[in-house]
Amino acid sequence: MNRTLLSSVLALMAGVIFTSQAAHAEFKQPHAAGIETYGYAWNSPDQDMNRALAHAADASKGEAAYKVCKGCHKPDGSGLADANYPQLAGQHASVIIKQMMDIRAGRRDNPRMYPFSGEWIVSAEEIADIAAYLNKLPPPTTNGKGNGYNLPRGQALYLKDCASCHGKAGEGDAKKFYPMVAGQHFSYLKRETRESRDHGRRNASPEMVKVLKNYSDADVEAVSDYMSRLKTTR
Amino acid sequence: MRSLAPKYLTAMTCMAISISFASIVQADDAASKTINIAIEVCAGCHGVDGNSLVPTFPKLAGQQKVYLLRELTDYKTGKRVSETMAPFMESLTLEDLPHLAAYYAKQKPTPGIVSNPSLLGVGKTLYLQGNSKTDVPSCESCHEPDGSGSGKFPRVASQHTEYALDQFRLYATGKRTNGARVMKAVAERMTEEETRAVAEYMASMP
Repeated sequence: MNRTLLSSVLALMAGVIFTSQAAHAEFKQPHAAGIETYGYAWNSPDQDMNRALAHAADASKGEAAYKVCKGCHKPDGSGLADANYPQLAGQHASVIIKQMMDIRAGRRDNPRMYPFSGEWIVSAEEIADIAAYLNKLPPPTTNGKGNGYNLPRGQALYLKDCASCHGKAGEGDAKKFYPMVAGQHFSYLKRETRESRDHGRRNASPEMVKVLKNYSDADVEAVSDYMSRLKTTR
Repeated sequence: MRSLAPKYLTAMTCMAISISFASIVQADDAASKTINIAIEVCAGCHGVDGNSLVPTFPKLAGQQKVYLLRELTDYKTGKRVSETMAPFMESLTLEDLPHLAAYYAKQKPTPGIVSNPSLLGVGKTLYLQGNSKTDVPSCESCHEPDGSGSGKFPRVASQHTEYALDQFRLYATGKRTNGARVMKAVAERMTEEETRAVAEYMASMP
């Protein structure tokens, strides 16, 4: 008698837990294959992304569409250092499109961002317009910086390991989807570099993960500090 | 031609006048039908001009036309569920809805009621800057700094605090789902106190 009662109570509890999860399930970020998956190919073709990339972007339409983003990323695209809202001004449009679509599809985990990346708030075309608009904005120089204690090490690491893809001045490469790292918030750079090293950033390029494999936390901090102080020539 | 011309002229003038009268009367028909609906179906809760006196029934006066039309359509199709609204929607056809939306959008909203002015400071900060510690974006980014809204983003200025709080709760608990993914995320991230403060600040905006 007691066992039946216990098992029915447990079943009821399980039912309640599972249904309440199901009710919210549609708002949870999906989980798509990333670097943890065998055979992962970085930046594989994706229909959503291709639609955005193929769209003839209109930066003035992008300014209007950007309103739903500026509540966190600020009207000038400068984001917020303390909250790890990245600085978006001047970033390559292709990079913004790729990261947005990776979040939308769940290739990059970001539950804070996910609700604002879906097609319910922005279409693929609008993302392209917003990316074109942000690319035109001048990168502010007031981004968050590190403590400046280890810059020579940071510079040595950057020039040896990072400049070949991200550019000597941190300008990135739009065609290859390598982000501009110059003028980005230090804490955001540190977090993303660390997460890439530790496979937490699942849409990372395997080349980058290889390069970062032997970085200590101090190395991550030094190179991030150095990058935060790079200025683009715009 | 001498004797015909005045007749033709008169006939043509009369036709012209009656044709323009007909279109005015037709337009009048649609407008008066809308006003009749507003009075007979809606005014009991929302007030004749959309300035509802009951704080759980939203003010419609001055609301964004695009937003109103979407909500009315969603009520009609069941995408937005309200036991209160359901019987009233039955007397409306889909053709009525754009006219109703346009009618209320044109009305002048009355000032909102602030019941707890001590919350206005916090409410204003939240409304204009959000809360970066809990990833609540600023409300003004979609609803405009003056709360007037834009297109599909509703006007929130001078709205009843009780109605606003109801909507925050419905969004946070997943019970209001139409057009709601962003608002669900926002409402989930806010505390009860924060929603109260924001509701007061929204009511305070003219």
